[in-house]
Amino acid sequence: MFNKLRIGKKGENIIFGTFVLLYISWCVNSPDMNIESLKSVLTIGLSVGIIYGLVALGISLIYTGLDVVNFSHGEFFMIGAFAGLTMFNLLGNQDWIFNIFPDAYGWIIYVVCLFTAFVSMGLFGVFIERVFLRPLTKKGGGYTVAGMGIIICGFGLSVVLINVAYLIWNPVAKPFPAELGLPMEIGGLFLPITYIWMIVVGLSVAAGLWFFLNKTKMGLGIRAVAYSKDVSNLVGINVPLYISIIFGIACAIAGIGGTLVGPTYQVVVFMGYIILMKAFAAAVVGGFGNLPGAIVGGFTVGIFETASSFYISGSHKDLYAFLLMIVVLMIKPTGFFGVQVKMKA
Amino acid sequence: MLKINQLISGYGSVQILNGANMRVEKQSIVALLGGNGTGKSTILRAASGLIRSWKGTIEFDGEQIQNLPAHEIVGRGLVQVTQGKDVFPAMSVTENLKLGGFILKSKQQLSDNLEKVYNYFPRLNERKDQLAATLSGGELQMLCIGRGLMSNPKMIMLDEPSAALAPQIVLDIFKNINRIRQDGLTVLVVEQNVRMALLLADYGYVIKDGVINVEGDSKKLMYDESVKESYLGGTKANV
Ligand SMILES: Nc1ncnc2c1ncn2[C@@H]1O[C@H](COP(=O)(O)OP(=O)(O)OP(=O)(O)O)[C@@H](O)[C@H]1O
Ligand SMILES: [Mg+2]
Repeated sequence: MFNKLRIGKKGENIIFGTFVLLYISWCVNSPDMNIESLKSVLTIGLSVGIIYGLVALGISLIYTGLDVVNFSHGEFFMIGAFAGLTMFNLLGNQDWIFNIFPDAYGWIIYVVCLFTAFVSMGLFGVFIERVFLRPLTKKGGGYTVAGMGIIICGFGLSVVLINVAYLIWNPVAKPFPAELGLPMEIGGLFLPITYIWMIVVGLSVAAGLWFFLNKTKMGLGIRAVAYSKDVSNLVGINVPLYISIIFGIACAIAGIGGTLVGPTYQVVVFMGYIILMKAFAAAVVGGFGNLPGAIVGGFTVGIFETASSFYISGSHKDLYAFLLMIVVLMIKPTGFFGVQVKMKA
Repeated sequence: MLKINQLISGYGSVQILNGANMRVEKQSIVALLGGNGTGKSTILRAASGLIRSWKGTIEFDGEQIQNLPAHEIVGRGLVQVTQGKDVFPAMSVTENLKLGGFILKSKQQLSDNLEKVYNYFPRLNERKDQLAATLSGGELQMLCIGRGLMSNPKMIMLDEPSAALAPQIVLDIFKNINRIRQDGLTVLVVEQNVRMALLLADYGYVIKDGVINVEGDSKKLMYDESVKESYLGGTKANV
């Protein structure tokens, strides 16, 4: 019976397009609409969007590779931010760095922080996967079979990691005063330069991942493992190792995301939860499991959210991402790039 | 080359192999026959490390390999080509083949082996940039065998290479299996196509209920009444 209700791909696109047009005309009619505000919306939207995209990228990577949704991914983002901040506090008092690079020391330190977050979260992810998730697959069948247990374990892990972070860093929000330069004026607003850092570093990480997956031998192995563990085993790929690598890379990218956000906002124990939700929305919008889709979905959610809070109402900022996700799920359940999900990677 | 001794294995708590014994001599072609669900693929899975061996030994090239991780078994030169024509559909033919040579260290070796496989199966060369998802059944089987050869194995185990293929293609593939043996490899081939398999092989085993029921020279097996009988239990095969 419900088959009659299906509208096909073309119908989906038409209805979705209509929604987009309606939304745009709504925004255009807003009294705040002008070129200047549009510039700020784009800058803010793209920069928070790439952060959602980075976390979504990890969620999608784990989903294609391991067939599970990692609900503790936001916590790797949060701990990554703390890792970056810790390194920042260590280096901030070191005069010798300032003496060697008097002009550039602010961003050199920041790059070291990003790198620290990347490496430490990568290793931490591998540790978590090996120690807490892998044992659940003991009964055989790997992640695909143990799926539901691992998803629930992800929720538990999230609670545990938040509380461990609470014990170590306490719940007070911490500033991350990276010295990256003066704010810039975009569209009448003074925006911190860190917004540009987010976009540039975020896109570089995404491009780097694309290059790694498509142009290196290890990337080829990862794509193979993502498609089939058994066949990968039979061509001599060390599948258990590759599963750890996939998990580690996804967590490392989330860690970078955390350190990118830190200087613009603050670093706080509870920052992972909302990011996870937004990234989840981004992944759904882009097409769950599709890697380029994750980034595009992140941008879409970021811009939609920022535009809505500028032009529609600023008091419900966190609502918009989910609104968009619901609309996409209703009209275009596969997301923008969802067609290829079945073929994976 | 391969010695399977009193092998017991299965899935979960279900025992499928009840003490299977087999020997595959170096540079020979050995056929493993049997009806549906008798445990042929299970033997191959145990040998290539995809499932655990509960009891018994599997000896390859003089060393025990039972319960080694699957990728290490490939590293030792024992490769399985699975039944389902499992390829990576979203990758090109060349990428699939390169994955077959994943364990190779040098690029030179990889391109040499690619050359070798294209030499066995010129069809794959014509299709090399095509996505594997778009290949025909015969081409898929060629791709699977080719991928198995990419890692320079000493022995290759083929699980029903003739399944669901036209006679012409089957002939072509079997000719190539013979060529592979002549080039120095050892071959274990699981087949439903009993006549073809026995024509190709030097020696044959018939498995029934997880144990080897009959074995012997393939010429002898071809006229063995009990071989025909073994098949009456399972799906009728074209003996
Ligand atoms: N993953 C699995 N889990 C549980 N039981 C399985 C699994 N794979 C196979 N079996 C069972 O093991 C038995 C032997 O299977 P196997 O695949 O070895 O048969 P086969 O001899 O290769 O048959 P065919 O000619 O149909 O390929 C069958 O009864 C099958 O149901
Ligand atoms: Mg079988």
